[in-house]
Amino acid sequence: MDNEIILEFQHITKQFPGVVALDDDSFQIRRGEIHGICGENGAGKSTLVKILSGVYPYGTYEGKVIYDGEELKLGQSSIREAVEKGIAIVYQELTLVPTRTVGENVYLGKEPVEHGLINWNKLYADTREILEKYQLDVDPRAIVNNLGMGKMQMVEIAKALSENAKVLILDEPTSALSKAEVEKLFQILRGLKEHGITCIYISHRLEEFFQITDQVTVMRDGKIITTQPVEKVTLNDLVKYMVGREMKERFPKGNRHPGEVVFEVQDLEAVDPNNPSRKVLDGVSFNVRKGEILGIAGLMGSGRTELVLTLFGEYGKITKGKIRLDGKEIEPKSARKAIDAGLSLVPEDRKKMGLVLIQSILRNISLPNLDQFSSFFRINANEERQASLQQAKSLTIKTSSLDVQALTLSGGNQQKVVISKWLLSRPSVLIMDDPTRGIDVGAKFEIYKLMNDLAEKGEAVIMISSELEEVLGMSDRVMVMCRGHSTLTLPIAEASQERVMALATGVAVA
Amino acid sequence: MSVSTTEVKATTNLGNRVLGSIRRNIQTYTLLIAVVVIWAIFYFLTGGSYLDPQNISNLFRQMSVTSFLSLGMVLVIVTGGIDLSVGKLAGFVSVVCAYLQYFTWYSLFPNQPLLAAILSVICGLLVGTLAGALQGYFIAFQGLPAFIVTLGGMWLFNGLILWRTAGKTIAAHQAYFSSIAQGYIPPIWGWIIFAIILALLVWNVFSSRRGKAKYGFSLRPLYRDLLNAAIPAVLIAAYIFSVNAYKGIPAPVLLLAVVAMVMMYVANNTRFGRYAYAIGGNREAARLSGINITSVLFRVFILMGFLCGVAGIVLASYVGYGTIAAGQGYELDAIAACILGGTSPLGGVGTIPGALIGALIIGSLSTGLQMMNVAPAWQFVVKAVILVLAVLVDVYFKKNR
Repeated sequence: MDNEIILEFQHITKQFPGVVALDDDSFQIRRGEIHGICGENGAGKSTLVKILSGVYPYGTYEGKVIYDGEELKLGQSSIREAVEKGIAIVYQELTLVPTRTVGENVYLGKEPVEHGLINWNKLYADTREILEKYQLDVDPRAIVNNLGMGKMQMVEIAKALSENAKVLILDEPTSALSKAEVEKLFQILRGLKEHGITCIYISHRLEEFFQITDQVTVMRDGKIITTQPVEKVTLNDLVKYMVGREMKERFPKGNRHPGEVVFEVQDLEAVDPNNPSRKVLDGVSFNVRKGEILGIAGLMGSGRTELVLTLFGEYGKITKGKIRLDGKEIEPKSARKAIDAGLSLVPEDRKKMGLVLIQSILRNISLPNLDQFSSFFRINANEERQASLQQAKSLTIKTSSLDVQALTLSGGNQQKVVISKWLLSRPSVLIMDDPTRGIDVGAKFEIYKLMNDLAEKGEAVIMISSELEEVLGMSDRVMVMCRGHSTLTLPIAEASQERVMALATGVAVA
Repeated sequence: MSVSTTEVKATTNLGNRVLGSIRRNIQTYTLLIAVVVIWAIFYFLTGGSYLDPQNISNLFRQMSVTSFLSLGMVLVIVTGGIDLSVGKLAGFVSVVCAYLQYFTWYSLFPNQPLLAAILSVICGLLVGTLAGALQGYFIAFQGLPAFIVTLGGMWLFNGLILWRTAGKTIAAHQAYFSSIAQGYIPPIWGWIIFAIILALLVWNVFSSRRGKAKYGFSLRPLYRDLLNAAIPAVLIAAYIFSVNAYKGIPAPVLLLAVVAMVMMYVANNTRFGRYAYAIGGNREAARLSGINITSVLFRVFILMGFLCGVAGIVLASYVGYGTIAAGQGYELDAIAACILGGTSPLGGVGTIPGALIGALIIGSLSTGLQMMNVAPAWQFVVKAVILVLAVLVDVYFKKNR
């Protein structure tokens, strides 16, 4: 076994019902290098990480992972085992306890104990030692909550390194960092490299690979497309490798005739309500016409979801810009106001935001629409049922009765319930945030058809999607978001996969 | 061949339907079975006197105060909250009523007992509602945890009780006021009320069928609808028959029945009720569905306060005085009644009839244990075991569904 190779994937295949997440993947990572992995949303990067971290233990995938000369076989308490073997992960969402100190977080669950009591002096001394060794500039006794994003990440790295990690996986480490913080992170990573620690670096910001990594692996549709030394590829090569996907799935191409503009957003800016110094939207402009599907493309963290929640009055605080619906300027200050103005939102996460899972289909569909069936003190249950039934039938929700709890339905049917609920409110504009996420191919196609039917009937539809081919397959025009601002709205004829990806990654500037 | 397949299918369908209906209502059935079991045990242990008309009459009258509280508590817990202040608030209302009866009205309008009773009732309801609004303000508008706000409320009302009574007992036994909780509906009126209820039940069956037919929904066979209506009718008739053998329906039980009907209506047939369940089921989804969560929570606590007012009035009238111990521990009985009745402590699930049966179970246990002269220490132990056991069984069933 070559001692130069710390990690080798041999023919790894990981299947989920109806989806192949990893498809016969083989590649190697050399000891002490910083290895970049890039790919579109859903390309298989996270699945790969989850195999290394033990979320998917040995036996749940096919193929072999050779780690440090031995086959990696993570068993029952696999996540713990992975950490003990020296594989550590810094997650995109930080996993720190915000109200405790840096030292407590670094040693959480493995505090130095003497006579049954925690030896606090040792804990802080050890923490300081780790922090100094890797030039992490944080006070061990600081409360995590009071640190900035960049420093929190350093704590997270220190926590990973406190277990003597040999391989450190960083999943989208820069998505929430400022420019200066990114620079600091890169310095730290170079320091780690000097200490012989191997890093796997996952990011959507392609230009970063050229600053920090030694080799880059590109993934697409669960396959490894290529692994190359970074100096041998260009930005455009990466984009091409990422998107060179065939249009396998069929999209119903309807006979749509876009009419006049119904909904218009001009130069919208908004800040995070919990942290007013953070801009979540930084100049977003677009419009939607009657009878068209406007696709919004953008990578994870580009502000797509923040945009629609802000339009719906439930997230960002608008600091600038205009929103016009049916020619009238609107100020969506709450979901109720947005609904009354004529917006409907099928949210990103149907289980957390779309449905009351323990309630019946009927009650879910009627929830935002009860005003339609109610006089001052009475809901007309018959009207409620009739209207909901009609809506459920027209979307062909498969169920024995409307009185079944929503949680018993399949993902596709649950999504149809959410769509039913929002169509019943007869919106002028229907916004769908990633409407086909996590549902099977057959149900996806039904949802595409449904969107198409709506647009053919003159409805204005906004579709956000993580899947580039879905955006390109379904939309009449495509708006691309990148780091909180809208770059360009392209007519579908001008929107190639390469161009959209280049705009979304910030490689091409509009 | 094909014929037999269809037949098999038909029977399994029928079987499934019956099983499904039992499974759906398993909680209600297990609760009713629990009541029957408890009554049977005490019947034998007390040599039959437990089910005497007089005892049945007292049992229901005694449980009425906490039942009013549990009616409101269901909605509070359904929205994901809790109200620890209800016992002391009801107690404070009872003290206010007694105080007004004894001191104020007497000097303002001597020899106007009816007016005094009416004014006492109005003031009691007002005090309860305002107190509910005050707590609701902090919970809904200021976003403070209901647990903390109502714990504060509990202490506050306890303090107010001590201050107003100054450690003494205040009598509240004027004739009109006393009849609220100590009165009985004469037996003949009991049967007239039954006739009215029966007529309403039948009318409801036909009017609901007419409505469904108008909207083109398929109807169940008429006999099944009538059977569904017959079950409560039989239970009510049995109850009236029993208590008529004593003095008739206790007035507070009739009042409880009316308020419970209204609350059932509110919970199922109004936007307010539906929103409360949606908020408890998934706050985020409710918010994105355009529900004004602040307003719904505020109204839930106002309603809770109003019901504390009702409970306090009944309490003062029932015991005939206001004391420093008024309402002590009632909040926990009310919460326990809800949980026993299938209300989920996590929110989103719970019914008014369930809470009433829960209150009946607690009332039945207390009365039975008292009749058998069980020491108070052991009464608590038995209640503790029953409560935890009941929830354990419930959790077990839910896991294995």
